[in-house]
Amino acid sequence: MASRILNGRKLFYLSPAMIAWIGFLGLCIVIGFISAFEVFWNGLFITNMSDSVPWGLWITIDLSSIALGAGAFTLSAVVYLFGLKRFQSIIRLAVFVGFIGYTTALLTLIMDIGRPDRFWHPWVYWNIHSVLWEITMCITIYLAIMLVEFAPVIAESRFLSRHTWIRTSAKYLHRLAPLLALLGLGISLLHQSSLGATYGIVKSRPIWFKPSMPIMFILSAVAVGPSLTMAIAYIAEWITGKATVPHDILRTIARFSGFAIIVYGYIRFWDLAAVTYYGRTPLVSEAFSLLSQQTPYNFSFWVFEIILGVVLPAVLFLTPRFNRNPGYLVMGAIFAVIGILVNRWNVTVGGLFVPLSYSPGTLYQLQPGKYFPGLPEWGIAIGIVGYGLTMLTLGIRYLPLFSSEEHA
Amino acid sequence: MSKKKTKIKLELTRRDFLIVGGTAAGSVVAAQLLTTGPLSPFAGFRQEQVEGLEGTGEPSSSHHWGMVINLDKCIGCEYCLRACSATNDVWVDQPADEQAAEITRPEKPWNIVVNDRTSTGTPFFFSRPCLHCGDAPCVEVCPVRATYHREDGLVVMNYDRCIGCRYCEIACPYDARKFNWQARTDVNPFVPTWGIPEVERRPRGVVEKCTFCIHRIDAGLKAGLTPGEDREATPACVNICPVGARLFGDLNDPESTVSQAIASEATIRLREELGTEPSVYYIIPKEGL
Repeated sequence: MASRILNGRKLFYLSPAMIAWIGFLGLCIVIGFISAFEVFWNGLFITNMSDSVPWGLWITIDLSSIALGAGAFTLSAVVYLFGLKRFQSIIRLAVFVGFIGYTTALLTLIMDIGRPDRFWHPWVYWNIHSVLWEITMCITIYLAIMLVEFAPVIAESRFLSRHTWIRTSAKYLHRLAPLLALLGLGISLLHQSSLGATYGIVKSRPIWFKPSMPIMFILSAVAVGPSLTMAIAYIAEWITGKATVPHDILRTIARFSGFAIIVYGYIRFWDLAAVTYYGRTPLVSEAFSLLSQQTPYNFSFWVFEIILGVVLPAVLFLTPRFNRNPGYLVMGAIFAVIGILVNRWNVTVGGLFVPLSYSPGTLYQLQPGKYFPGLPEWGIAIGIVGYGLTMLTLGIRYLPLFSSEEHA
Repeated sequence: MSKKKTKIKLELTRRDFLIVGGTAAGSVVAAQLLTTGPLSPFAGFRQEQVEGLEGTGEPSSSHHWGMVINLDKCIGCEYCLRACSATNDVWVDQPADEQAAEITRPEKPWNIVVNDRTSTGTPFFFSRPCLHCGDAPCVEVCPVRATYHREDGLVVMNYDRCIGCRYCEIACPYDARKFNWQARTDVNPFVPTWGIPEVERRPRGVVEKCTFCIHRIDAGLKAGLTPGEDREATPACVNICPVGARLFGDLNDPESTVSQAIASEATIRLREELGTEPSVYYIIPKEGL
């Protein structure tokens, strides 16, 4: 343990690549802070969102980062509920990645709401009818669960080694792990699905209004979340030069992801077939033809969501030719992550692009929504990515993420 | 059941029987309670019950405020838009920068007035306030109950509670909501020609919407006036209409002008298939729609 950190330290401190990396992270975070200041000072006016497209890049980041954090609850459930103890060695990393994903989402949400000073209102003024309320409650509760799950890891870190009582109490906390995993599983299943329901229940928007929305959201999250954790474990290994998680476990996770992606692809296929072909309605057909004529929706759907996001990861994760090579597994995970990002963007912005129709006559039509993220929006996005990468770097450097002693 | 025997034999002990039977009976009781009993979360769980939790102490109202808009009479003068924007101090694009606003962020007032055409090609004018739905999507989705139903059918907002998430804007099927993207410093071009602001400007970062001039209704009722008949208690858009295309009143009162109009004319409500139960009725043009 100690020697690993010493060896790691050499790599982390002395290499010019590391200095460049720290510079890059710093730059991202500075850009993020400048953009955040601009947005707080001027209001959301300086973004490119409008009354017809009120949600944009930031909501896409929210949805994606929560989906990508799904490895935490999936792998915790695998270990603590299904009893597959050999996956223990990746739990800490999975929970850490999940924690980064969820804090990322909350940071972006704070930027996105018009009154960040009232962020606490959902806890006080409940509307149990609102899926967004349910999501807010679940995300914050789950964040707390992850903190408790992760507390033993922080307690084990070198900074706290002189306070033995912290370590002792953390060990007691660790006994709660199965209970926390159960709670986490329930709450995650709830809110990962209701993120999809956020769109699926909006009855005035024909391409959103379908019961498959929550199912597709949770399936894609369960499929891709663990593969991101797997990829990060490999990348950490390449950078630190030290073994992190046994490769057979990482490959098993990749294969699980591959199967889950196929299930997701299957649901996606039937959703497409039912909504746009067998059970199409005039409003849905109109909406899709508008999207395909005026936006690159079709291209991004087939190329990014299906080929890049479903077919390629499934092939790379499942065929023995590719899944023995960590390089291909990491590549597959990156493709799957891009697939998630593009999917969440297409759902959000694509759905809002299609104008509402409520006029009693035939002439008046709302214009299709116009939206492309503005500079402050990209700035926040860069800052958020910088935050995530900084957390990961710090975690891999300073936290015992890959020590698997002491676990019973 | 032992696995040693090759023949599968059903051995039902008394203990197993009681467990299975008890579970089944318990499920039936639970199902009964959950569907029809006092615990039924889905059977009787309506918006109103949840709002009742708030305990606003508002006396239950016998009124249901509604509007009738006569598409046959409307001449598209936009007076309603102007009076509304002046009275409620709603943002409107300055005529000078209309071009610029169109490119960046088209702002809509609470009331819109647009050209429209029937399926046979006859032009008419279509205007739209907030429809104050009986089953309003915006009320359902608000995570903090900043938008809520009043007993009198109005869908109103608590601007002090809104967090500005804009989900209501996304969920409203009628595009009736507006977000305050920036702090207002503009000079309202319709003041004082079309009216004097009677409510304060909404702060930056909250969503806003038409209120049916709730401040007039509430003050009018206290003063013993009848909204829809006494001008002081009637929405600005209804008062200003030069051709009487807008009627306002109590839908629960069969004698009110709105109820009479609905009873005697062919009316529609917008997108009724969504089940939103709007409180605004449209008298269709004579030629039909």
